[in-house]
Amino acid sequence: MSSTTGSTTGGVPAAATPSTSAAAGTAGSPGRLAEETAQGRTTIAASVVQKIAGIAAREISGVHSMGGGLSRTFGALRERIPGGGTGASNIAGVQVEVGEKQAAIDLDIVVEYGASIVDLARAVRRNVITAVERMTGLEVIEVNIAVNDIHLPDEDGPEAPPVPATPAPSRVE
Amino acid sequence: MTGPAPGADRDAADELARRVAERVAAHPAVVRLDGGIFGAVATYLPGHRLVGVRVDEHGGPVEVAVVLSLAAPIPEVVAQLRARVAAVAGGRPVDVTVSDVVTGPAGPDVTVEIGP
Repeated sequence: MSSTTGSTTGGVPAAATPSTSAAAGTAGSPGRLAEETAQGRTTIAASVVQKIAGIAAREISGVHSMGGGLSRTFGALRERIPGGGTGASNIAGVQVEVGEKQAAIDLDIVVEYGASIVDLARAVRRNVITAVERMTGLEVIEVNIAVNDIHLPDEDGPEAPPVPATPAPSRVE
Repeated sequence: MTGPAPGADRDAADELARRVAERVAAHPAVVRLDGGIFGAVATYLPGHRLVGVRVDEHGGPVEVAVVLSLAAPIPEVVAQLRARVAAVAGGRPVDVTVSDVVTGPAGPDVTVEIGP
């Protein structure tokens, strides 16, 4: 259900974006920090970047959940694949491409009704870039945010209105 | 680092793998050792498999794969791990793979099987 699809693209200008063909991919593919070749290589799995980005995006209040219908399905699927990584709840709605020194991140989010989507996307992007760059040392070249849906407070919240005490009178006798 | 008998090389490599595993697992940010992205980072010892460390007997790089807690930035932890391993690995390069992260502190599931 894509009631609102506002795809805001590119917080950081992707200046001189290199071809991310090498070592690129989503969960399970390695990303490398190509420094310190004499002392050894450092490899950070793409699922690490996925998890950090997912946690950082959820930290922003106004993000109700992550993932569209499709990516939630794939997240559930991925959990059943050996080596696909557990904790799909953290990585639903997050796709990453990890290169030698850079990462590109795509997010699918569901926003709360009442949040300014532009402001929210900006806050999510800033938090994700800060978290991933600080935690992994990779440079984040872009964060693409797709707002898939909007969540109304009375849809499934705990304060859902109780069932009316008096049942509606039957229209037929 | 090629010795006269291949068996002796292998024994030395196995011993190094055990010491590397102990030192890596002792780091507070390491939740556990891991088999790496394809589960191939392991040392086959008599009786069991030491997951997360691979040392070849020809002097190649020492491979270590870990699951870290997200308490500290990964590059800092990796640099500390590399220093710990390099202290016992001689001049060998140390390849570090961070195959997953766990949120929260390194809890009670800090288990490393370093068998006999």
